[in-house]
Amino acid sequence: MKAPDFSYYEAETLSDAIKFKSQDDEAIILAGGQSLLPALNMRLSSPSCLIDISKLKDLNDIRLEDNSIYIGALATHTQVMESSIIIEKFPSLVSILKMVAHAAIRNKGTHGGSISYGDPAAELPAFAVAMNAEIIVSGLNGNRSIAAEDFYLGLFETDIKSDEILIGINYPLVKNNEKIVFEEICRRHGDYAMAGLIAKVKTYQSTIEKLKLVFFATGDRPNVTSKTSEIVVNNGYEYSVIKKSLSSEIDFAGDLNSSEEMKLHLATILISKILKKLEN
Amino acid sequence: MDDIKVNQNPKLGSFDRPNSYIGRSLPRENAKKHLEGGGQFVDDLVLPRMVNVAFLRSPFAHAQIVSINFEEAKECPGIIDIFTANEIDEICKPWVGTLGHLGEMKSPEQTPLAKSVARWQGEAIAVVIAKTREQAEDALELIEVEWLEKEAQVDMETALNDDAVIIHEELGSNLFWTRTVEQGNVENAFKEAETVVETTLDFARHTGVTLESRGIVADWNKAEEKMTVYHNGQAPHMMQHIIAKHFNVNEGLVRIVSRDVGGSFGIKVHVYPDEMAAVAVSKKIGRPVKFIADRLESFTTDIHARCHKISGKLAVDKDGKITAMEVNDLSGIGPFSMYPRTSAIETNQVLNLSGAPYVIPNYKAIGTVVFQNKTPMCQYRAVGHPIAVAITEALIDKAAMKIGLSLAKIRKINFIPDNSYPNKTPSGVPLEDLSHQASMDKLLSIMDIDNIENLNKDDLIPGTISGIGVISMSEVTNPSPLFYGVGGAHISSQDGASIRLEGSGAVHLSSSITEQGQGTEAIMKQIAADQLGVSMDTVRVTLGDTDATPYGGGTWASRGAGIGGEAVLKAARTLKTNILNIAAAIMQTDIDSLDIANNNVIRKNGEEGISLQKLAEIVYYRGHEIPKGTNPELLATASFLIEGVPFVFTNSAMGCHVSIDQDTGIVKINKFWVVEDCGTQINPKLVEEQIRGGVIQGIGGALFEECVYDNQGNMQNATMADYLVPMAYEMPDIIVDHVTTNSGRSIIGAKGAGEAGTGGAPAVLMNAINNALAKVDAEVTSQPITPEKILRSMNKI
Ligand SMILES: Cc1cc2nc3c(=O)[nH]c(=O)nc-3n(C[C@H](O)[C@H](O)[C@H](O)COP(=O)(O)OP(=O)(O)OC[C@H]3O[C@@H](n4cnc5c(N)ncnc54)[C@H](O)[C@@H]3O)c2cc1C
Repeated sequence: MKAPDFSYYEAETLSDAIKFKSQDDEAIILAGGQSLLPALNMRLSSPSCLIDISKLKDLNDIRLEDNSIYIGALATHTQVMESSIIIEKFPSLVSILKMVAHAAIRNKGTHGGSISYGDPAAELPAFAVAMNAEIIVSGLNGNRSIAAEDFYLGLFETDIKSDEILIGINYPLVKNNEKIVFEEICRRHGDYAMAGLIAKVKTYQSTIEKLKLVFFATGDRPNVTSKTSEIVVNNGYEYSVIKKSLSSEIDFAGDLNSSEEMKLHLATILISKILKKLEN
Repeated sequence: MDDIKVNQNPKLGSFDRPNSYIGRSLPRENAKKHLEGGGQFVDDLVLPRMVNVAFLRSPFAHAQIVSINFEEAKECPGIIDIFTANEIDEICKPWVGTLGHLGEMKSPEQTPLAKSVARWQGEAIAVVIAKTREQAEDALELIEVEWLEKEAQVDMETALNDDAVIIHEELGSNLFWTRTVEQGNVENAFKEAETVVETTLDFARHTGVTLESRGIVADWNKAEEKMTVYHNGQAPHMMQHIIAKHFNVNEGLVRIVSRDVGGSFGIKVHVYPDEMAAVAVSKKIGRPVKFIADRLESFTTDIHARCHKISGKLAVDKDGKITAMEVNDLSGIGPFSMYPRTSAIETNQVLNLSGAPYVIPNYKAIGTVVFQNKTPMCQYRAVGHPIAVAITEALIDKAAMKIGLSLAKIRKINFIPDNSYPNKTPSGVPLEDLSHQASMDKLLSIMDIDNIENLNKDDLIPGTISGIGVISMSEVTNPSPLFYGVGGAHISSQDGASIRLEGSGAVHLSSSITEQGQGTEAIMKQIAADQLGVSMDTVRVTLGDTDATPYGGGTWASRGAGIGGEAVLKAARTLKTNILNIAAAIMQTDIDSLDIANNNVIRKNGEEGISLQKLAEIVYYRGHEIPKGTNPELLATASFLIEGVPFVFTNSAMGCHVSIDQDTGIVKINKFWVVEDCGTQINPKLVEEQIRGGVIQGIGGALFEECVYDNQGNMQNATMADYLVPMAYEMPDIIVDHVTTNSGRSIIGAKGAGEAGTGGAPAVLMNAINNALAKVDAEVTSQPITPEKILRSMNKI
């Protein structure tokens, strides 16, 4: 479990990093290293070079803009959780991040790393999709912004091109009549979930008007289930109906801790848990 | 909690005297060293000219090696050589993991590297020697092996079928060992029984997951023909013998050094092929060789444990008295029986210990141990106990439910009475000094069992069901020669201690017991200082070096305090007598008028005495001042072993309260209680740490830990992310209390306390979970009890 040989490049500016990356297809970005370094030690990948972007300035901003919050790619999970802007405007993100790994990992792991790695079991990609976030990447031709829902193409596969680096995420502010509700079911605290759900709910006089459901740890990417959302909004929750609808909308992939059937069951239960939370 | 007083053993003197350290929760000095990062582990060691090795391991559970090509690999930077079995077998004699005292065992010869067939995924077939481990791993990737994959015998349940894959042709079948124990007339008893209950339980494989992985540095000194091995094991003298024997080195010239060891749990008391290969490489190339198992290697080559399927039945009369018990256990041990303890002992303990706390006049236990193409399985903390206790206690709960008795009542009417010892287990193993009745009474009172459901109502979230479990168990500790030695293994059941007063008045103690983090050093120091009458900081302790400590068995089977501690006590008492004799001669008085306290020889009448420092100075530097004929030895050595019984048993009672989320299948342990009777507690806090840590390891086996294999024999979860050990969040509040019945086999009276938690927790958890699930007519019988298994038992998925 020692990483194979690679060279190491500590980027001083974003454009250097982009240039370097565009010239070497096998070079790979190193941010907090919390996912990448274990993978290297297991020799699951053998990049030619690690482009360390962790020293780049101005990529860890967290700022409030007119209608959105911007989180720079290099902001660590801990920075995000401790940011007064996030605490005030996105308290749900703080509670989500509490379920991401453990303190030591959150001190190093970055927001952008998690979003760009695209682990289908991770919380942040689902959060970005639920929030209709804009993911901003920078490449040889300048910046480009991608809707989160279009960003995830498959298992660990994203729309980042080989010369691009993710620089930040823009989250639209949550409106007064909107709520973010989050639930996940893990075997141990801090583990990737057996199934998780992030819901964005728009209410009108305490009835649900609009519901966006984004599941994680269920399939090959964050799973958006619009048909099921509609059923919930129109007919309310009924276990067997919801289960049937989810099974047609998500291509469930089992893992060591939960089979496909288990994930389908838990996903169904998650909706009822979220509805209960909304009632309270 | 710094200075808990516990019930004192009268043989140890008054608790109020100066330097009375036995029985107090004193802080352990080496914890500070570890907190400061000052420990010295095998991987910290760097010797001149040292090389590192990495192993080429079989990616298949069963495959023939058609050819290996090293050419390209040998050209890699830093590569010194690459060896296969051909080269290693010239240096190291093969071994066989069998013992002679338990009936016929059939296991094949094993060599450090597999010769032509690999029999588990992870078995080493070649060793790459390089300057650094990284270089060795780089070269591994370039070795070309042509494999012929063979069908694997993965499932233990089909291993004895006619169409099974025979793993070792020369043995003719996959049967390693079988044994039947019978007392009374079981067949008759079941025929006449009024009520019979039955169940079958499954226990998945799990493993020890030591914080520090296995590691070795072997250093062959050609000039002296001396083999020094730095090894993070548990039994240095056993390794000394084994290395001498298999490498043809004079045993006196083998030195094993085990400094700090980061956890062992029985994992590190066995002989591992890769470690033997590292020793062979050192002897062959004449350089120090380091091998440190990485986590992947730990998961696929450290011994696994459990892997049992046991069915049992229990007969009770109308009052709930047990009339008969029968169990039939099947266990799969991988392709080899481990050396030198064999992989039979876990099953043997199941046969010995099922039903152990209870009077069961008719008892039968059958054990069958088979080979399969998985990582070798062997003894791990609480060997066999989780299986024996779980089957017994599951059957008792079933019987209680069937005839309408409370969980407490059915146990109470069946216990071997506290006043009936010496007695025997239903299987016929001698028992002494136990307290199942008193321990259960105490447990029920600290649990407040009658109000437990009310107490926890507030905690209950809608959708959860709750349940309670209580169990009793007997724990094997302090084994005598009848455990291994009698079967032909060179495993010492004696332990020794050597203690000396030095010129400065300091005391040096060495013991053959070793430390892996449990606080051995601290308790040895407490015993020595207490018995000698000196302050704790006077005593320095050396452990884990065959050149520097007395001969002995080391640490396993919860024997450190009871056997090693007694040796320290005896040595300290002899040294004290020597000191007092010298002091009496110097002070021209009678030895009975003197004592030692606070590092001084004192006169009991209060007149001035002499400090140990002054006394030592006289003896060492001005010996002419001592009256002629006085024995000047300020050094004493003693040994101890258990005689007359195979083991000294400890007993415990455990209880727990769980809630189960019916939607998710997640189990929450609301509270856990243990009452332990381990006799004298030398350091109560360390005893309680052992119990809590043990319980948590038991929770691991019961709820989380499993070496998951696919049906080709590939381990699926060999990483710390995928193999789930309980962590801080999963640890419940564990309330520990004690009953004290000192062992009559020693002065110190200590029994072992290292394994009960691990042995009992799986049973009590399973019972509590089934107690809850009974409310919805469901039941689980397979460990680990995962959320998915719970949901399936309720037909939710
Ligand atoms: C024990 C453990 C438990 C964990 N549990 C959870 C959990 O419960 N939930 C969860 O969501 N995560 C979990 N994680 C993962 C952790 O959150 C991620 O490792 C982290 O967020 C990824 O960020 P990083 O900065 O460490 O990325 P790195 O490891 O540095 O990189 C990850 C990948 O993303 C790429 N990358 C990183 N930054 C950029 C960028 N700006 N532009 C383009 N590509 C980039 C890298 O090239 C690499 O391929 C866990 C990790 C560990 C070790």
